[in-house]
Formats: sequence, C-alpha cells, structure tokens
Amino acid sequence: MEPVKLTAKDYKTSVPIVWCPGCGDFGVLNAMQQAAAELAIPPENLMVVSGIGCSSRIAGYINAFGFNTIHGRALPIASGAKLARPEMTVWAAGGDGDGYSIGTNHFVHTIRRNADITYIVMDNNIYGLTKGQVSPTTPHGDYTKSTPMGNPDRPLNPLALALELGATYIAQGFSGNVKHLRDLIVKGTQHKGFAFINVKSPCVTFRGRQEFNVVREHGVYLDESHDPSSWEKAHEVTQWKEKIPLGVIYHVHGVPTLDEIARDLQHKAEEQGHVETSKDLLKIFG
Amino acid sequence: MRDVTLAIAGSGGDGVITAGDFIVQAAARKGLNAFMLKSYGPQIRGGESSARIRISDRPIYSQGDFVDFLVVFSWKDFARFSDEIKLRKGAVVLYDEADSTPPEEFPIAAELGAELIAVPFKKMAAEEIKVPLTKNMVALGVIAALLHLPLDGIKDAVMKKFGKRKPEAAQVNIEAIDLGKSWVEKNLPDGTQVVLEAEGAGEPKLVMTGDDAVAYGALHAGVKVFAGYPITPASPILEFLSKWLPHFGGAVVQTEDEIAAITYAIGASWAGKQAMTASSGPGVALKLEALGLAAIAEIPLVVVNVQRVGPSTGIPSKSEQADLFQAVGGTPGDVPRVVLAPSDVEDNFQVAIEAFYIAEKYQIPVIILSDQFLGERSETIDPDVLFARKRVIARQLAKPSNLKEYKRYKLTDTGVSPMTVPGMKGGQYITSGLEHYEDGRPTSSGTMHQIMSEKRARKLPLIAEESGFVRVYGDEDAELAVLAWGSSKGAVREAVERARAEGIKVKAIVPQLIYPVPEKKLDAALKGVKRAVVVELSFGAQFYRFLRAYYDGLPKETYSHARSGANPLLVSEVLEAIKEHAGAMNAPQEA
Repeated sequence: MEPVKLTAKDYKTSVPIVWCPGCGDFGVLNAMQQAAAELAIPPENLMVVSGIGCSSRIAGYINAFGFNTIHGRALPIASGAKLARPEMTVWAAGGDGDGYSIGTNHFVHTIRRNADITYIVMDNNIYGLTKGQVSPTTPHGDYTKSTPMGNPDRPLNPLALALELGATYIAQGFSGNVKHLRDLIVKGTQHKGFAFINVKSPCVTFRGRQEFNVVREHGVYLDESHDPSSWEKAHEVTQWKEKIPLGVIYHVHGVPTLDEIARDLQHKAEEQGHVETSKDLLKIFG
Repeated sequence: MRDVTLAIAGSGGDGVITAGDFIVQAAARKGLNAFMLKSYGPQIRGGESSARIRISDRPIYSQGDFVDFLVVFSWKDFARFSDEIKLRKGAVVLYDEADSTPPEEFPIAAELGAELIAVPFKKMAAEEIKVPLTKNMVALGVIAALLHLPLDGIKDAVMKKFGKRKPEAAQVNIEAIDLGKSWVEKNLPDGTQVVLEAEGAGEPKLVMTGDDAVAYGALHAGVKVFAGYPITPASPILEFLSKWLPHFGGAVVQTEDEIAAITYAIGASWAGKQAMTASSGPGVALKLEALGLAAIAEIPLVVVNVQRVGPSTGIPSKSEQADLFQAVGGTPGDVPRVVLAPSDVEDNFQVAIEAFYIAEKYQIPVIILSDQFLGERSETIDPDVLFARKRVIARQLAKPSNLKEYKRYKLTDTGVSPMTVPGMKGGQYITSGLEHYEDGRPTSSGTMHQIMSEKRARKLPLIAEESGFVRVYGDEDAELAVLAWGSSKGAVREAVERARAEGIKVKAIVPQLIYPVPEKKLDAALKGVKRAVVVELSFGAQFYRFLRAYYDGLPKETYSHARSGANPLLVSEVLEAIKEHAGAMNAPQEA
C-alpha cells in the first residue's frame, strides 16, 4: 500500500484554542504540526505530553495521543510513556514556569537519564495562565504583578543549565520563525536521546507585542561557523549576554537512552538466568 | 510446648536478624509455621535490633504477646525493647556472660521466675572460631540444641545464603553453630524448661516478607513498569522489582522524587503497560495530586502504601494504621479510588493481584494499604495457596473496529469507557487533568462536571459488589463482633479464638476491600450482631470514624478500641476488650 502523504492539517484537532490573539504559541503549534507531517509520524504513533500553563494546552491541539497533565510533571509522564512504548514518538511541551520552576527536578533528571523524548519549552518569561506573575526566566528588575518593585531575582539560564547537566541535544528557536523551529523539532525528534528546544515564544498580553521585536533584533542564527559538537563552543553561546542564539547549540550522539538502558538490563537479566513464568520464582523463597 | 516464641536482642552488628532468618527458614523446611517480626532503632549500624520468632505446628496469626525463650547479647540494647518484649512466667533467658550489666540490674522482673543462663557467646566466637562476628551463629547452635530446632535445616539455610558465593564463610558459620551445640551438650545436658514439641507436617513451606509478597503479586499480575523512591519501610518493593522485573521484560526506575515515581507509572499506564508505584505515608502524601490525575483521566494505576508511624517522619521503622483517611480522602476534588487492605503476608500477594484486576477492569487508581508490620515481617506460606485465585487480566482495550468517532470517555452504564493505547489507528484522543466531554475535550461546564462525576462514581458500587471479601472468623451467630482491618487481623483472630475457648461467643469481621465499602458483604457479616468493637492502631480511631461516616449498617452499640501504633497490637489487649464488652452485654439491664 502506498503510504498516505501526511500534511500539517492531519495533526489539527477540533479543540477550540484558548490562546490570546497574537500569542507566540501559535507559531510553535504550527511548527510542531509541520514537523510531525515532515516526519510522517502516524497520529496514532505520536504522544504529546504537557504540564500546566497556557502553552501546555498545546497537547489538546495536536491530533495524537495527547495528555495535558499536571503542573510541572510533563517530563516524568512522557518518560514513563517512552519507557513503556519505545516504538512511539514522544514529545513533551510546556512553559518556563512549568519546566524551570515547579518541574526543575524532573528537567535535571530527565537529562541525566537521556530519555528519548523531545522537550519543547515555550519560554515567555512570565506566568500567563495565572495572569502575569514573575517567572524563573523573567529578567532582573522587570515589573510584574508579583514584583511590583521590580524582579529582585536573577533569571535562570535554561540553555546553560541543560548543557551543564549533560543534555545531548540543545537548541533554541523563535515562534516568529516557524520554518526554522520546525527544522529544530524535526532534528530533535530524529535525535536518539533527550532533545531540548527552548523556544522564545512571547506573551503578547503580559509582556507585550514588542517582545517579538526584541528577539528579531537580538536573535542571531547560528551558521556553519558554530560547531554544535563542541561543548566549549556551545558553552560560549549559552553565555551570550545581549545576543540571543537561535539554532542547534549542542548535539552529541551515542549516549545510551532511558529505554535502551532498560532493554540492556533485560538482556543482562536473561544472561543471569532465564525465568519462564512468575511461578518459577517461587524457588527464591524456598 | 507446641507454640514457642523466642526473641534475640542485640545491636545492629550482632547479626540478630540473620540468625532469626535462619531459624525461620529451618522451620519452613520442616513444614512448621513460623512468623518473624524484626524491630530496630533508627540507626543504620550499631543501633539496637531484635528478632522475634514464633514457631508452631498450628497456624500462627500474630507475633505472640509473650516471649518464652530470650537471647540477649547486650542488656543495654534489650532495655530499649522492654516495651515490646514481655517475658512469659518461667521463660528461659540466655545472656552473654561478657555483658557488664550485673544480674541484679537486668531489666526483667525477678518475679517472672526466669531461668537465667550465662553463655560465653562472644568468647567462643572470638577464641575458638577466631571470628568474633560468628557470635550469632554460636547462639544459633545453642538455641537450636536447647529448643530442639532442626539443626540440619539451619545448616541448609546457611549453605543457601553463603554456599555458592562465599564457601569459606559458610564453613565458618557451620563450625560456629556446631560449637554452640556442643557447648549445650557439655554444659546443659538436661536442657531447659522450654522445648519446642512440634513436628513439622507436610511439604516444606516458603518464607516471604509482606513487601516481597506484594511485589511478587504485582509481578504475577503483569506489572511492566515500576517507579519508586527509597523510603522505609517500602524500599524492599523497589529492590525486589529492580532485581526481578527485567526478567519479565519490564523496567524499574528509581526516580528523582515521589512525584516522578507516580507520574512515570501514570505515563507508562497511559501508554498501555501495567504500572505501579510504592511508598509510605509521607511519600504517598506527595503523590496525591497525581493520584487525582489518574482518577480523572481514568488511567489504571496501583499505588502501594506501606504505612509507618506518623505524622511527618514519625517513627519510620515502626507500624501504624493511621493513613486510612489519607487513602480514602486525600487529594483535592471528588476522587474515585479504591482502597484494598492486605491482612497478612500471603494476602499481600493476593491483594496485589486483586489491585491490578480492579485497576485494569475499571480504569481507576487502586491503593494497597499495607504497613510496616506486614511489610517487613517474614511468614511461612503454603506455596499451593498463592496461585489459587485466578484474577490476572490484561489491559482491556476497545475493539479496533469500533474506533469510528471514538470517544474515550463515552458515557456507559458501568462508568467504564472503551480505552485505546498508542498505535491503535483512529484511537488517538486527548486526555487531561481537566474536566472533559466524552471525547476528552476540556470543558468548564458545571453540567458536564456533574455528568462526568456521576460516570466515574458509577464504577464504585460495581467494585464493592465484586472485589475482595469480608473475612469472618469465629461464631457465625455471635452477637458480639470485633471489626478490624489490615494487619490487626492477626491479633484479633487469635483473641477471638481464645475468647471462644473461654466460652465467649464472638466473631471477628475483617474486610479486604476498605473503600468503596462492601456494604452488602458487611451487612451479611454483621447480621444478628448487637454490639461491635472496632479495633485499630490509630490514635484518632480512623477506621471507627470511617465506618461511622461511610457505612449505615453498624449496630447501634458500636465502640472503638483505638490506640497509637509503634507497638504491635497484642492478643491480650483485644481479648480484654472482648471480655469487657461480652460482660457488659450480659450484665442485667437497669430498669
């Protein structure tokens, strides 16, 4: 049978989209749908897991096995799903509050286990769904509803954090450039291991439309002069102060993934001695 | 004696538990029944520890209130257990002659008339075996010779533990055991007043802890993904499955925290594999938000809580039954869930199978409420009974031909909707912790919330009808009943038997399914009962209050016998309660 050509439309759902007009997350949704079509993933073989927040609504907007879970827990749910069904494509998605604040512990350990999932963070530097409180990536000094005298905290650098933790694929995209972001998602999905994509996805309501211009003005697309296999080069890029790097920042291969390790352990167990049925285990209690 | 309770007390490095394990295994090989309760302080090494072993040719239900035969390596360590280890009148006490405590300061009552015997355990191990650590094995030889325990069985157990990996260690241990035995022959040729006169009958039995049993039951039920985080006293479940689940094509993850553990399991189950997590009360507290997610998204899930003393860190190494409210009512919102309570080690195995059966059939989270007393004790088990009940089922999937306009949360009479898993063409759906329509789309409609709340709740009466059972022991037509749950069953059952032997008509009623309340089965068990006493190890009398709130069928005269945990429930205290209530019932009524 001829494979049916899939298009971005095949990944749309009838769920009404609740985002504000002009929200950066629309661009991310388009990029994800286009990436799925380009990768020709049958919708029934795609799992999209999100946490809680404006951006986490995205799990409902993609025709797939979608799971809009609880705040901060997209990564362990996605990891458990991938562990159970390694043959499926698993995407996790969420916002900066979900991933870098309440879910930080999971971000750290999912990287450590190199779970073979693609994690797309729509970083808008604000808590949008709760209507405008400071987030872990809000710049120092910014005024928000919960920082009426300016943000006293310094922002977290997710790219540098991921690199330091040993992430095997680190990229940054911009929701204002869907084609570029689509390519980052395609590459991340093809990557064997944890693919982390931070997306500059402005909140037009609580941060303002000018945020798009900030990324356009300061964004620098990484070209051939950047070697993503070099940790040192990647480190340098993650430390940029004014410029915003866009593209694949770091990419290395060959690190065992969560589900590969599980299979290895199954083989090791088999080598230690075959156990046919659960009843055969009775002997260990004798 | 046909029923002997012995205890060994010392410090962590004394090998007390190892010696106890060998005794239990030897008894099991002879087809005897045995029960071992370990008790220890909070220290990892060097703290006090004790093993309490009861052996009999009759069924054993509890740890035994009084100790007949005591071995003390250090009186200082023993003193820390004086709460738990009560001697029977005329007990035999062996102690190490090297201990510096003078006999007049021994922390045991002189009026008990114990037969005190000083034994050079330490000296024999150090000077004759030349391995001071074999003190426990010398003691084992002495105990076996005096109590008439099967020495060959003990040696088999030693060989099983060390034989293959450390043959020298096995040899040294066996020499130490023989040395202890010959010390008895030389120094106590007439033995002591306590001797086990029980002949093992039938086939050898197995020895299992409750934690291993629940893990093994889950494995038998088909668990494929287990995620856990270390916590006393539930860690042995994580350890057992880490060792054995890979043999069955499964995977275990020791996660970064308790929340990750339950959410890994939820992700795996959503993806189509049977999944479980286990913890103790404080860990389960962290998991509760995710439990609600499994409930609203209708994802099969099994959560084990091996309860310990709370609140907060409480007494982590000891048992209590005070997480009942947490299990039944914890988590925000109206959350349908199932709570099952195993009542002995074998039941831990059965309940694990039952939990998966209910979770998979009804797409609902199931909590298994075990406790430290069940989880860490060892019991002999008849291998034939383990697999007698056949309730193992696979994931119940929607028919691939029925996936046109598929609705994951289709309203049905049973509340159970067709479920798909990834890979089923046309079966994709959106799910969430949000309230939703039949097809999974989120909604904030109050009408829909009511409809979906009703749908999810429709499962509960069906589960109450078919799951678990209510155990009844004693006189069917008794007007006095003791209601108990979980690990309290043992002492309650034994107390009921003793009361009946003394001519009191009484029965014990122990439900396996706690929530939803198996009303019809409880009604039947309580038929004709005029007075009930609810026995439990919860200072707040959670089971009593739970029954008051959730069940209409209690007799008007229902009383509570509740105290805080840590010290196991005693047969004597339950017996006393039975006598008191039996007496009150028979007292002439005042006009």
